[in-house]
Amino acid sequence: MAIVSKTANSASFRNSRRWLTVALALYFIYTFIPIFYVIVSSTKSNADLFGTFGLWFSGDFHFWQNLQDLFTYQDGIFSRWLLNTILYSVVSGVGAALFATFAGYAFSKFEFVGKKLSFALVLGAVMIPQTALVIPIFLLLSKVGLVNTPWAVILPSLVFPPGVFLMKVYADDALSNELIEAGRVDGAGEVHIFFNIAFRLLTPGFATVLILAFVATWNNYFLPLVLLNSSDNFPVTVGLSQWYALATSGSGGAVLFSIVMAGSLVSIVPVIAAFLIMQRYWQGGLGAGGVKA
Amino acid sequence: MAVIELKGVEKSFGSVKVIRGVDLKVEHGEFVVFVGPSGSGKSTLLRLVAGLEETSGGTILIDGRDVTNLGPAERELAMVFQSYALYPHKTIRGNMSFGLEVAGFPKDEIRQRVDEVARLLQLSDYLERKPRELSGGQRQRVAIGRAIVREPVAFMFDEPLSNLDAGLRVDMRIEITKLHQRLGATMIYVTHDQVEAMTLADRIVVLDKGIIQQTGSPLELYEHPANLFVAQFIGSPKMNVLPAAFKEGRISINGGVGIEAGKMTGTDVANVGIRPDDIEISPDGTGLIHGKVDVVERLGSDTFAYVAVPGAHAVTVRAPRDSAVAIGQDVGLTFRPERLQIFAVDGTSLRLRPGV
Repeated sequence: MAIVSKTANSASFRNSRRWLTVALALYFIYTFIPIFYVIVSSTKSNADLFGTFGLWFSGDFHFWQNLQDLFTYQDGIFSRWLLNTILYSVVSGVGAALFATFAGYAFSKFEFVGKKLSFALVLGAVMIPQTALVIPIFLLLSKVGLVNTPWAVILPSLVFPPGVFLMKVYADDALSNELIEAGRVDGAGEVHIFFNIAFRLLTPGFATVLILAFVATWNNYFLPLVLLNSSDNFPVTVGLSQWYALATSGSGGAVLFSIVMAGSLVSIVPVIAAFLIMQRYWQGGLGAGGVKA
Repeated sequence: MAVIELKGVEKSFGSVKVIRGVDLKVEHGEFVVFVGPSGSGKSTLLRLVAGLEETSGGTILIDGRDVTNLGPAERELAMVFQSYALYPHKTIRGNMSFGLEVAGFPKDEIRQRVDEVARLLQLSDYLERKPRELSGGQRQRVAIGRAIVREPVAFMFDEPLSNLDAGLRVDMRIEITKLHQRLGATMIYVTHDQVEAMTLADRIVVLDKGIIQQTGSPLELYEHPANLFVAQFIGSPKMNVLPAAFKEGRISINGGVGIEAGKMTGTDVANVGIRPDDIEISPDGTGLIHGKVDVVERLGSDTFAYVAVPGAHAVTVRAPRDSAVAIGQDVGLTFRPERLQIFAVDGTSLRLRPGV
C-alpha cells in the first residue's frame, strides 16, 4: 500500500496549521506587549502615564516633550550614557567576535596539546553566568586600578564563550580543510590564510557572534553597576535605573517616569537597527561553489 | 620535473599505523598512480609527499633534497584536490593568481602566466567569474590551472575526478593524459578507480593496508599480479578465483580434473585465478569445469555471463556480443592453462606456469 502524506489541501493539514498560527500569534502578543507598553508610555505625560489605560495612547501626545526632557535633564547626561553604551558595546562586540573567530578557527582546524581540555573549559564557561563572576572581576580590576574606567566593562565583555563555541561549529561546517591546505600548497602562511581565505568564509558566523556580543554588552546591567561608580561612565542601563530609583523614592523626581519610558524606547532603537543592518551578513552560502560537498 | 624518492616512509595516527614503511622512486616526468581500496593509505601517502601530513618515520627526497621536514610550499609541488578547493570569494583569475601573489611575483608576469594557462585549459572566457558560476568540469580545470601556473616541480592529484559524472570523467581523464604529455611533468595521482589507474598511469602502485602490494606498468599488473589482492583489484570485471590443490604433479581445479603442473613442485597451491576474457563457454559436458548460467548482461560490445559453479563463487565469463548463451543453460568452461594464475595459501603468486 502506498504511503500518502498530508498535503497542503488535506483537512488535517489545514487544521494543524491553524492551531500553529494561533499558538504563534499568542506567543507574539506575549513578547510584544512590553515593547508596545514602552512605545505607548513614552508618548504620555507623567500624569497620563498613571491616569489612562496603560496599553493605549492617551489623547495628549507628549512624545517630543519627553524626548526633549530626556536629553536635557541633568545637563543632558543621557546622551553621555548613550555614547558610553555605544562605545562599550561596539568595542566589546567587535573584540569578542574577533577573539571568538580566532579561537573557534583554532579549535576547528588545528591539533594542539590540551585542545580537548581547553574546549571543555570553554563549554563549561558557557554555563557560568557573568553575574557569578562580577565580584571576582571587581576584586581583580580594583587591584590593577581599572575600576570605574571604561575598561572595567570592556575587558570582561571581550570574553564570550558562547561565541567561541559557535565559531568552532561554524568553522567545522563552513570551511573545508582542503581549502586551507590549498592555501598552504600555494605557499601562504597561516596568518595570510586566516585573513585572506578563512575569515571571508567565516563572515556570517562572525556577524552572528558580533551581534550577540554587542547585544549582551548593550543590555548588561549588573557588571557596570558594580564596576562603575561615577555617573559619567554609566551606560544607559545603569543610568536609567538610577533615574527610576530616584522617581520611585519620590524625592522630587516623580516627573522622571515619563523620561525613563522615553529613555527605554531610545535605548532599544539602536539594537533593532544593528539587527537590521547585520542581517544581510548572516546570509550563508558564500562558500558555495568553492568546494564540492 | 623532479625525481621523488620515498625511503621507509611510515605514518601513524595515534596507535593506528596507516603507512607501514613505503619505499618508492618516482622518476622524472613519470605518471605514477596510487590505487587501492578505501583505507589503503593511498591518499595519506600522497599527502605525506605533498607535505600536508608529517611523517612518523622515513625520509622523502625531491631531486635528492631531503624535504621530510619542509612545509608544502617549500617542496614546490602543486596539488589538485578532490573537492577542487577553489577559493569561493575570489574570481577564477584570483584563484589562479593567488600562489604567485603570495610568492611576490610582479603583477604583469602574473597576468601573463594566468592568461597563458587559461588559454591552455580553455578558461579564458571565465577568468572574471566566481567558482560557483562554473560547472564541475570547469572548476576542476581551474584547480588544475591553479596548479600549472606555479610551474611546480611535480603535480599531486588526490582523486580529482571522483566528483564528476561518468561522461565528464572520461573527458577529463583524456585531458589529464594530454596535459601530462604536453608538460612532461612528474605526476602522482591517487584514485580508487582501477580503470582510471590503468588508463592514466605509466606505472601503478597498488596499496593495501598501508603496504605497497605491487608496482608496475598497467599491463604487468594485469598479466602478472604479485598476489591475489592485486589480481582481484586490477581488471574489470574482477579475476575469477577458484579453489585448487596440488595432486600428483597436477593442479586440480575446484576438486575436478587437473592440469599439468609442469615443473612446479610446490604443495601449497590454494587458488587459481583466470580473467573473464580468458574463459570460453563450451557445450555442457566439455570443458574443465561446469556450471549453470545465472545471469547474462549484454553491454552491446560484450556479453558477460555469470556462471554458478558448485563449490566456488560465480565465475564471470566475457563472451562475444552475439553469444547465444542463455540463463539457466548448463555449460562447460574452458581456458588455456597458460593463462592461469596460481596462488599459494598466503595469496602470493606462484609464478611458475604449467607446461613451462
